[in-house]
Amino acid sequence: MQIDLQERDDVLLRRSAKGDEDAFAEIYRRYQAPLYRFALRMTGSAWAAEEVVQEIFMTLVREPKKYDPQRGALGAFLYGIARNRVLKQIERAPRELSLENTENSPKAQAYATDPVTPAHWAELRERREQVRSAVLELPVEFREAIVLCELEEMSYQEAARALECPVGTIRSRLHRGRALLLAKLEMLRELPKRANAGH
Amino acid sequence: MTCEEFAKTGLELELSPDDGPLEVAAREHLRNCPHCASLYENWQALRDDLRALGVESHELEAPSRVEMRLRQQFRIKHGTMRTRRTAAIAAWALAAAAVLVGAISWINWRHQQASNPSGRQNVLTATGTSAPNPAPAGATAPAAMELGDIVVAANSGDFALLPGVIPPSLEDATVVHVQMQRSALTALGLAVNEEHGADWIQVDLLVGDDGVPQAVRLPQSTN
Repeated sequence: MQIDLQERDDVLLRRSAKGDEDAFAEIYRRYQAPLYRFALRMTGSAWAAEEVVQEIFMTLVREPKKYDPQRGALGAFLYGIARNRVLKQIERAPRELSLENTENSPKAQAYATDPVTPAHWAELRERREQVRSAVLELPVEFREAIVLCELEEMSYQEAARALECPVGTIRSRLHRGRALLLAKLEMLRELPKRANAGH
Repeated sequence: MTCEEFAKTGLELELSPDDGPLEVAAREHLRNCPHCASLYENWQALRDDLRALGVESHELEAPSRVEMRLRQQFRIKHGTMRTRRTAAIAAWALAAAAVLVGAISWINWRHQQASNPSGRQNVLTATGTSAPNPAPAGATAPAAMELGDIVVAANSGDFALLPGVIPPSLEDATVVHVQMQRSALTALGLAVNEEHGADWIQVDLLVGDDGVPQAVRLPQSTN
């Protein structure tokens, strides 16, 4: 069965609910990547992110009627499920920092194979790791705002829709999240200096 | 612009030569406030790191095994639904067929019930007509005729009523095939030719529910 790329989500979902596997696959392809990245950045674990994505779409398979097009876009509905699942994962499992995916990404490989600036690359990687770690230590509501607006580069409106809250809330969460991030990073960067000064 | 205002709005500004009034005020504040200048600088560095982190993982997506697992679950779910639907339809069809068969059986039974009493009435009528006029002891022919009617009604053949026997109720009578000497028929009250008394013959006896022979049928050859 042919799938129109512009076909609306609710139409696809209705077809999927009737057993059209292609329609379901199309919905999956539209949303899996941002949802996976969101889950990965929120949990810090590729395994947990995979679980979250699977659970989100299993909800669509088992209970497609849970989504009501009158109440909002399918994306926001899926982000809502993702947030709940992520929270459960965070409560359930201790945080794991998975680096395997980012190390395999083309950008990371480009850095790794650049022979001219190995020291610079190492420094960059260390800083990125500090940032990643600091983001993962943020309280969940600030982390969500930072992940969506800074990492996923969503607009405030898009983030507000995804998190089902007013734009003002996103602004204030971002503001506080940034302040916390800066403080954490400053602390992380100060630690080695202090350690060196002590020796 | 105060430090508080700068913290709220200034951090998000991208300062460039063609700035608006807000950016100009922020730039002015940065020149005069070393704390905010340091904060801004740190934030810009952090923002760059965050962007780089975002770009680094921008192409990430769920492994293909997730899609495979989901498709499998999708097929199982919808396959099960289809099977259930088929099973439900089959169950309803079977139930409808059973009801139909039941109804037809009931109608047939009712039809038979309606036709059977008349048949039984015929037998009873035949029995009723013969019962008040029992045959005399020696008159075997009329008795046999009467019994013959009854037996024909009961598909029992041409039995001759034994002397002194009231026409039996055929419902409980049993036909017994026996081999006996012709002379033994005298014990049943029948007249026998002495010359052939020692012959063995096949006889059908109509035995009543009390075990006593009521009528006899002799094969054609032995008559």
